[in-house]
Amino acid sequence: MKRWIAFAIVVVVACLLPLALDPRGYWIRVLTFTLLFAAMAQAWNIIGGLANQTSLGHAAFFGIGAYTSTILLLKFGLSPWIGMVAGGVFGGVAAFIIAIPTMRLQGHYFALATLAFGEVMRVIANVWVSLTGGPGGTSIPFSPPSFANYSFKLLLPHTYIAIAALVITTLIFEWIQRGAMGYRLRAIKENPSAAEVIGIDTTRVKLQAAVISGALMAMLGTLYVQVAVFFDPDTVFSAAGISIRVALVAILGGIGTAIGPILGAFFIIPLEELMNEWFSSSAAGLSQLIFGLILIVVILWRPHGFVTVFRSLRAKFTGGTAR
Amino acid sequence: MPKKSTTLSVGLNRRTLLAGTASLLAAPMVLRPAFAQGKTVNVGVIMPLSGANAQFGINSRNGIELVADEINAAGGIKALGGAKINLIVADATSTPTTAGTVAQRLITQNDVTAILGAFASSLTLAISEVTERRDIPLLTMSFADQITGRGYKSIFQVVPKASVIGKAQFDYTKAIAEAAGAKISKIAIMYEDTAYGSAQAKGLRAGAQAANVEVVMDDAYPLGITDTTPLINKLRASGAQAVFPVSYLNDSLLIIRTMRQQKIDIPAIGGAAGYVIPDFEKGLGEFAENVLSVNTSNYDLAPEFTERFRKRFGYFMVHEAQEHAVALDVLVQAIEKAKSAKPEDVSAALRGAKFSEGWAKTMTGGAVQFDNTGLNVLSVPVMVQWRNKELVTVWPNDVAKAKAIWKS
Amino acid sequence: MAFIQAVIDGLLIGGVYAVISIGLTLVYGVMGIINFAQAEFLMIGMLVAWFAWAFLGLDPVLAAPLSFTVAFVIGWFVQGQLISRVLKAPSVAQIFLTVGLLIVIENSALLAFGSQFRSVTTWYQTISLSLGPLFVSVPYLIAFAMSLACGVALWWFMRTSWFGRAMRATAQNPGAAQLMGIDSALMYRIAFALGVGLTAFGGAVIMPYVTVYPGVGGQYVVLMFTVVVLGGLGSVAGAVAGGLAVGVIQALSALVFPIQLQNLVLFVVFILVLAVRPQGLVGASR
Repeated sequence: MKRWIAFAIVVVVACLLPLALDPRGYWIRVLTFTLLFAAMAQAWNIIGGLANQTSLGHAAFFGIGAYTSTILLLKFGLSPWIGMVAGGVFGGVAAFIIAIPTMRLQGHYFALATLAFGEVMRVIANVWVSLTGGPGGTSIPFSPPSFANYSFKLLLPHTYIAIAALVITTLIFEWIQRGAMGYRLRAIKENPSAAEVIGIDTTRVKLQAAVISGALMAMLGTLYVQVAVFFDPDTVFSAAGISIRVALVAILGGIGTAIGPILGAFFIIPLEELMNEWFSSSAAGLSQLIFGLILIVVILWRPHGFVTVFRSLRAKFTGGTAR
Repeated sequence: MPKKSTTLSVGLNRRTLLAGTASLLAAPMVLRPAFAQGKTVNVGVIMPLSGANAQFGINSRNGIELVADEINAAGGIKALGGAKINLIVADATSTPTTAGTVAQRLITQNDVTAILGAFASSLTLAISEVTERRDIPLLTMSFADQITGRGYKSIFQVVPKASVIGKAQFDYTKAIAEAAGAKISKIAIMYEDTAYGSAQAKGLRAGAQAANVEVVMDDAYPLGITDTTPLINKLRASGAQAVFPVSYLNDSLLIIRTMRQQKIDIPAIGGAAGYVIPDFEKGLGEFAENVLSVNTSNYDLAPEFTERFRKRFGYFMVHEAQEHAVALDVLVQAIEKAKSAKPEDVSAALRGAKFSEGWAKTMTGGAVQFDNTGLNVLSVPVMVQWRNKELVTVWPNDVAKAKAIWKS
Repeated sequence: MAFIQAVIDGLLIGGVYAVISIGLTLVYGVMGIINFAQAEFLMIGMLVAWFAWAFLGLDPVLAAPLSFTVAFVIGWFVQGQLISRVLKAPSVAQIFLTVGLLIVIENSALLAFGSQFRSVTTWYQTISLSLGPLFVSVPYLIAFAMSLACGVALWWFMRTSWFGRAMRATAQNPGAAQLMGIDSALMYRIAFALGVGLTAFGGAVIMPYVTVYPGVGGQYVVLMFTVVVLGGLGSVAGAVAGGLAVGVIQALSALVFPIQLQNLVLFVVFILVLAVRPQGLVGASR
């Protein structure tokens, strides 16, 4: 019960925070992308954290979502809300298709296979010009502001949509983790053969996790490009910019926990922005260099993510007070 | 929040210094606040300073800094009481979304009057989605047709569009060959599958079709190709009389070297980018001699301006530097005309007017004039040829500095 | 004829792919870590060769031992200070440590040497041998020969030297090797340094026909993964076969499919191999 009250408080504060920012400004854009990356990392967390399969190809689903809604809007005039749902379906189907050959792979092999899948999708999007517009990229056109058409003059509504998306993905993650599926996934993670013995269909459970994760990621792809407006295949199917970064957010925060991706996103995304602002004009590469160093230090210091900092702090705190 | 950027702190120093001087000057007359308003005009410069296009981004920044320093040294913007130009440089990286975020930052944190950038079309397009919504003028030398093809009102493209450049690449070549008494009936096109490559290839195709010339090879190849042998094998088998490669530097070196290895000596006519920078000649040495390339401007058309660049930076003024220099100078002329640094006033002053002073003279039309879409209607592409480590304009005839050498 | 030409080109270029990928598979084979930063050592090798050419007038191919040495030293340090700390960490931590390393190396190079594209000029780089209607590119041939020499030297080292045998023992069973008096920490260091050294060696021998800039590693990274997966992760002999296979697949696919799809064909083969035969096409079971 206490957890839920804390959760509600956080959500309320999160909803008030954007009101303090310039509604057409810079920080609200950064906040919106931070929230979206947190939600994406949460979606990744379902397969990467709960099923313990390190995917480095989530850009595939992200890009499918981005393109599905945009193509439906441009060619058929369908609202991006409908496009988002359609994108989610395609993303889930794509996750299913790639999961079949890769599900039984583990660790590094799974990571490499998914990385290659992301690249396959990127090449296809570049080559299939009649569908995607090719490497020239696509813009989401201006249209009169309306909620039904997912079109807003200010960034503020996008921020609230991103908050909602993060809350929903986090709830789904928690629901899975606490439910029967989470129990099965944990059993597989601890000991796959033992899980088989007690009657868990490991492939089926992992497949379910992969499909949910892929579908959510695709839906977030739609939300993301509504803010970015212009995108091309190399952006939305980017291995470094999406796949690896999403995994990185979750890993730095702490995988397999609901709070991890949120911590990771609120650390990495603003940090990248600040470093670009401080250093990028003076010495190109310096901001990325520092970013890389921080990444190395954090991994050496906390291989299980920031979340462990809070745990040890809490342990210290509760250990220190009378019991 | 500690601001530690060197350029930024230099900017701050300069600004405080200026404010100080200004208040000293103004002291006898009226007591004005120390931060005399309008004493600097902030101009955003967003370029790829890291990533694969960093070299081009740095060239562009050099061109802009040259002009900014010259204008400031000559007393700043006269209509605004000698206000100085303050450049706010930022890295677009190679990600369009980041470029857009950076633009948002410059607009809200730095109150920029206008933004210049960002060499790569995809970055420029992403920035334009931000500037258009905030009515901030964006001046660019990116080639893509979409830039001025979307009906946006705050974007200004100082160069011709990619499809026009591609068509000129073909048309000029045909004219040069005919002037040398040769006739082209079969050509090959190879291009990297990026926004730039595919848009320019479209123009090449259109040119060939209009002239009834057969395209015997028309191949896109992936960005970052590490081995061009399959392309050149195909070229050799195609029987083309001229080849039109559109690529950045890496591939351009691979393509020319592999052609020489296989003793293919048909003329290669590059599509700007990798073919018109000093590194191309450095990488190929004597094999660069007589290679042709289309270009959107060339330094030998206005040496009285461009030699200043060479003197300061030690290499010839590459086209992206020159065109960005033009963009900044035209922007300043517009501010002078508007007598205001408000973005909407500057936008209005840019549209329609003809700018024929300063750096604008270095463009092929001798001036810059933007139409309703923001396209510079006076600019036409040129054909350049490598001669003894320099790029010489060889076409069109009225601006050519030397006669084209055509060997087939 | 086009077919034979493609096979020749593919084998020559594949030999180079093999040598730059052997290091990746060696590191995995010995310590079970996939080094995402491996391609950055290719860039280091290329840069060293370029500087040796520009300032010492050395042919980049002859500078290859120098590239090897520089990368070996860096690798020795990196393994001891960083990689050794995550040997027991979850695989995600291992992957992202090397991703961090990748970012650091690439941007250090950008800061130190700028973003210029650097290439060398050598007398043989635009020459090819003609065999009737066939062409054999001289720089490719030289790179292939150097790769072959390097591969043979590695094979000899692994077979006959005490270090080589100790390393293979560590790869098979670290615990048992430790009991036999082999210092596994030292073996890991040697393996890692040797692995990145070999990749840097490959970087030097390809300099006559490629261009180096800080981000060049990105052009090779997926290619290297494909090579080692095709050959079976951890198998050195497999990497050689995988390298040749990738070279030939690339060259042949260009005859059938548009060149634009070159990478697509490669990735599809990659995923299929992983799905059907994760131990690789030639891989011994491990």
